[in-house]
Amino acid sequence: MPLDTSTYSLALLRVDGRRWNELRRLHAQIRTQAAADGSSYLEMGHTKVMCVLTGPAEQNQSQRRGQTSGGGGSARDTASINVNVIIAGFSSVDRKKRGRNDKRTQELEITIAKTFSSIVHTHLFPHSSISISLHVLSSDGSLLAALLNAATLALIDAGIPMSDYIAACTAGSTSSHSASDDSADPLLDLNTQEEQELPYLTVATLGSSDRIAVLNCESRLQVSRLEGMLVVGVDGCKQVKQILDRVIREKGVQMIREGAVDRSDTMVMDLDE
Amino acid sequence: MTSLKRSAEGDTFGSNISNKTYVRSTRSGKVQKIVREVYLRTDIPCSSKLCKACLQSAPRNAANEVQPFVLSEKPAGTKSFPQGHYLMPDTNALLNAMDLFEQSSSFYDVIILQTVLEELQNRSLPLYNRLLGLTKSEDKRFYVFFNDFRQETFVNRDPDETVNDRNDRAVRQALKWYGQHLAQTKAKNIPAVVMLSDDQENLRKAKAEGLHAASLRQYVETLEDSDKLLDMVADVQSSGGFKKPGQMLYPEHFTTSRMMTGVKAGLMHQGIFNVSPYNYLEGSIKVPAFPKALLVLGRENINRAVDGDLVVVEVLPQDQWKEPSTKIIEEEAITKNEGADAEESQDLVSEKERKALQEEVKKTHKVKSEGGPQPTAKVVGIIKRNWRQYVGHIDPSSASKGSTQGRRMDNVFLIPMDKKIPKIRLRTRQASELMGKRLLVAIDAWERDSRHPTGHFIRSLGELETKAAETEALLLEWDVQYRPFPKTVLDCLPSEGHGWKVPASTDDPGWRDREDLRNLLICSIDPPGCQDIDDALHARKLPNGNFEVGVHIADVSHFVKPANAMDTEASIRGTTVYLVDKRIDMLPPLLGTDLCSLKPYVERYAFSVLWELNDNADIVNVRFTKSVIASREAFSYEQAQLRIDDASQQDDLTNGMRMLLMLSKKLKQKRMDAGALSLSSPEVKVQTESETSGPIDVKTKALLDTNSLVEEFMLFANISVAAKIYEAFPQTAILRRHAAPPKTNFDELSNQLKVKRGLELRSDSSKAVADSLDECVDPKEPFFNTLVRIMATRCMMSAEYFCSGTQSYPEFRHYGLASEIYTHFTSPIRRYADLVAHRQLAAAINYEAVHPTVRSRGRLEAVCKNINVRHRNAQMAGRASIAYYVGQALKGQVAEEDAFVMKIFSNGFVVLVPRFGIEGLIRLRDLAEPEPDSEFDAENYTLKTKGSREVTVELFQKVRVRVHDEKDEMTGKRGVKMELTSA
Ligand SMILES: [Zn+2]
Repeated sequence: MPLDTSTYSLALLRVDGRRWNELRRLHAQIRTQAAADGSSYLEMGHTKVMCVLTGPAEQNQSQRRGQTSGGGGSARDTASINVNVIIAGFSSVDRKKRGRNDKRTQELEITIAKTFSSIVHTHLFPHSSISISLHVLSSDGSLLAALLNAATLALIDAGIPMSDYIAACTAGSTSSHSASDDSADPLLDLNTQEEQELPYLTVATLGSSDRIAVLNCESRLQVSRLEGMLVVGVDGCKQVKQILDRVIREKGVQMIREGAVDRSDTMVMDLDE
Repeated sequence: MTSLKRSAEGDTFGSNISNKTYVRSTRSGKVQKIVREVYLRTDIPCSSKLCKACLQSAPRNAANEVQPFVLSEKPAGTKSFPQGHYLMPDTNALLNAMDLFEQSSSFYDVIILQTVLEELQNRSLPLYNRLLGLTKSEDKRFYVFFNDFRQETFVNRDPDETVNDRNDRAVRQALKWYGQHLAQTKAKNIPAVVMLSDDQENLRKAKAEGLHAASLRQYVETLEDSDKLLDMVADVQSSGGFKKPGQMLYPEHFTTSRMMTGVKAGLMHQGIFNVSPYNYLEGSIKVPAFPKALLVLGRENINRAVDGDLVVVEVLPQDQWKEPSTKIIEEEAITKNEGADAEESQDLVSEKERKALQEEVKKTHKVKSEGGPQPTAKVVGIIKRNWRQYVGHIDPSSASKGSTQGRRMDNVFLIPMDKKIPKIRLRTRQASELMGKRLLVAIDAWERDSRHPTGHFIRSLGELETKAAETEALLLEWDVQYRPFPKTVLDCLPSEGHGWKVPASTDDPGWRDREDLRNLLICSIDPPGCQDIDDALHARKLPNGNFEVGVHIADVSHFVKPANAMDTEASIRGTTVYLVDKRIDMLPPLLGTDLCSLKPYVERYAFSVLWELNDNADIVNVRFTKSVIASREAFSYEQAQLRIDDASQQDDLTNGMRMLLMLSKKLKQKRMDAGALSLSSPEVKVQTESETSGPIDVKTKALLDTNSLVEEFMLFANISVAAKIYEAFPQTAILRRHAAPPKTNFDELSNQLKVKRGLELRSDSSKAVADSLDECVDPKEPFFNTLVRIMATRCMMSAEYFCSGTQSYPEFRHYGLASEIYTHFTSPIRRYADLVAHRQLAAAINYEAVHPTVRSRGRLEAVCKNINVRHRNAQMAGRASIAYYVGQALKGQVAEEDAFVMKIFSNGFVVLVPRFGIEGLIRLRDLAEPEPDSEFDAENYTLKTKGSREVTVELFQKVRVRVHDEKDEMTGKRGVKMELTSA
């Protein structure tokens, strides 16, 4: 067994060799599923998720009743966003099978649906629904953040108008409970082991701005550390936004080059290489 | 369809990511495969003060501070490395010789590799913690180099490579890198980086690559004080891998997987191995499958298990079941003439041991008593050794005659102070210097071909029998943390020091939510000279005729905040340890004896429990509050008693105490009616003269009404607090329970009472025990009742702290106090459990927010586990200290005293001397010379001797003994000896 998070102070190195302010390798792709309206695949370290999106489409009976629908007022005059998170049994070490009604999963679904309901221009699509299916292939920390990022990419891929990217990551603190330990460093982008041993929160911002769209914290932490963690988290979100943006732009360039779409005047993307 | 395959990496880490795969097995036996990312980097510094390159790219923390570099620019040189050197030990070097690394004459500037640290953590947590301690010490200059995260030193495991080989290769890779890296610094004297390893193959490969490497022994030989240090090199590797397969004396231990399968299938049993205090060849193991403990008899069956080890046993066929031994077998007496050198040539079971055991077997065939034979078992493997460091002295007879001269390597036996630990064979060059000293040693191994475990010397505590050495010895033996408080702990104290006062202004934050109880007539009652006053009391009559009673406890949690350095230290110490002439505090004395102590005439913060009680001492109302009090007086028990008894004293304070006394008697009666036990242990007090601190007299403690006054109200407060914190934290309240003893525990005593006195001991409930103990009286012998109570106490389970979520409510019961729920609240200065209870109570009354450590169940369980051990150790250390002083008080004196027979063996008996509170063993051979013949009647607990001396001794009998101290010329050990003068 490798060392645990308590050895950070020995050489300012985390359990996987990162420094306090470094993200894990973030790799993403969009349009991975040609048949879907929008799709994406995203890796943050060993957390691997896939997103498939359908819609906006006219709501049918079953959709109207079932699934988790996020806020967004009455389903009549705006599009509803339905989120479905499927966590594969093989995604975590203990290979636990999670049922459909797993409370943790439902919580994730609601958080994601609510977040996007507030930034997608749902009023443009009355009487319709957007279904986001998120598949967790491998889970190694920062799961909610990865799901939010993947959903952002899929929404953009589907061409659904929204006010900005949602970019998310986690932030933690090196010291678990010691009150007098002022030397605790904030940490960026936690993996499973760190999440299990240290306090952490998930933060998502609207694009590169400082506006926070999601802030979720389930661990106990010293209030005095919250600010530092939040700063590091917001900073991490900006880095995530850059990476997501690059993925989109590269795909756009590639598609134009391949002639998949026409180069049109409305496209303001900077395609100079 | 677009492929999901990873595209070319474009991000910052690029190709510098590797994966680490390992498997772990869970507690339930599942095997999990874990893959973890590893980010390789080039900015991990070498931490040598010579290196400027690393300093530039050194990592910074969030506050933008660089960690100071550790390794000295001018490290010490040796004969082989005059230019100076850094050490790089591998895992085995640390496992075998951590003591060497900790000593202060050498072993500075050490590079600890991440690979090694990880491996050490997996192999031995205590050693890992000691190593972390070293890396934190500034003067030892230990640097942890994360080689597995640095690109140049990262080593991937080859497909057919074992983990060990890979780790060895990683160490060599790091060694090579360090050499090359330091060469680039262009310093005048570039220190050599030397690998320390005891692995011959690793050493050979390192040398083949042109790297500096040495075995521990080779390296130590080049140091200045090599003779002294060589002893600390563990014995195991001195023979290297070339040991010729000698004659195997012990059966081989099973493999772990075989044991696990066996235990699962119910064919084998797992438990803690305990050695009988009277017979070193008899051990017992309590396992769930058998109501009675399994006996393990004889060297071969014990198969190298040492007291405290977690072992796996196999039950022997029923025809080999036996009675527990009724004979005293002492290792010293039986094996005293064995030389340490010659031992390999002997058979496993010596002729003498065989004879001693055979007599046993004969006897069990003959006699058949109540209990029937007990199941026996043999040890087939050891899951976990519980070896610690042991204190003892060298058996002078084991040293060869020549050893008083020259510095020849010698084999000697060390006799541990703890009789349950076997003799340990040491190899030393300084036998003559170590003779007659108290020594600290460690066991290294116990191989199949060695009769005794082998160990190595750590340090000398001083001359035998000197007070300093003996005191330190017993502190080490009971693992009492006695080092001075480190600076980090003292930094947590209030900066005002002794000048701290309760703030005068009630607007001060310290007064928040505190009740002002300074007008109450509060006093404390403690043993004379008590400095750490935990508790104070008051009582007054209320207008409605009821009584208001307050118990005020020092508000330690105000000064000790959760999880700071002082709290951590206190949680490790767990309790204050009281020795006869010394107190080892749990908290720094500034708090314990001053700021927290509820001293008279000054204002102090307190945590108060306030009851309204009616005439019958029933609770009408109870509340808890933080407060400020001003104690009016600190009484000793005697002073308080005198004042209460003096009818002319009619002031309010004295009348308050009378009320307390009256109410306490009612409380006590209620407890007794509920079945609380009044148990007994021999208690004596050693009076010491302050200046010389030499003992002058031994007295049995007198019990006054005021003792029980204080005790009753403390119990009362503890019970009230327990109920409150359990209500607030059903899962995480810290409580104390005392399990009901299994019925079989009383079997022997109840049979003894029936046979010898026709008395009945009923054990179906604590009430029945209490009542029948009351009936166990001998009108002619008042001490008989106490004797029975002492013996009954030994049948009980010990009370323990626990976290409420780990037990169901009926299990909370405190058997001895006959209370449904109980905790410790009233002594936070000297017990850590009380401090935790204070924090929980403060949270329960919404005085402060709950700190995570106070309600994290995992952490609380760990705290309970530790303080349970510390609590027991503190008691044992206290008793050992009294025994030592009683011995000192008797030195050169001969006293004739009454004594009572507590236990009878076929070749001796144990007596208790009430005046000194000590027990002594009188063997047949002590009765007369030559040893008289004897007839042992196990059914009637009677021993009759014939021949050279004729006496009849039976259980519970009152005898006269002559007590004096004697130095055993053979072992150089002084001890209390008893002689029977008349039976
Ligand atoms: Zn360097």
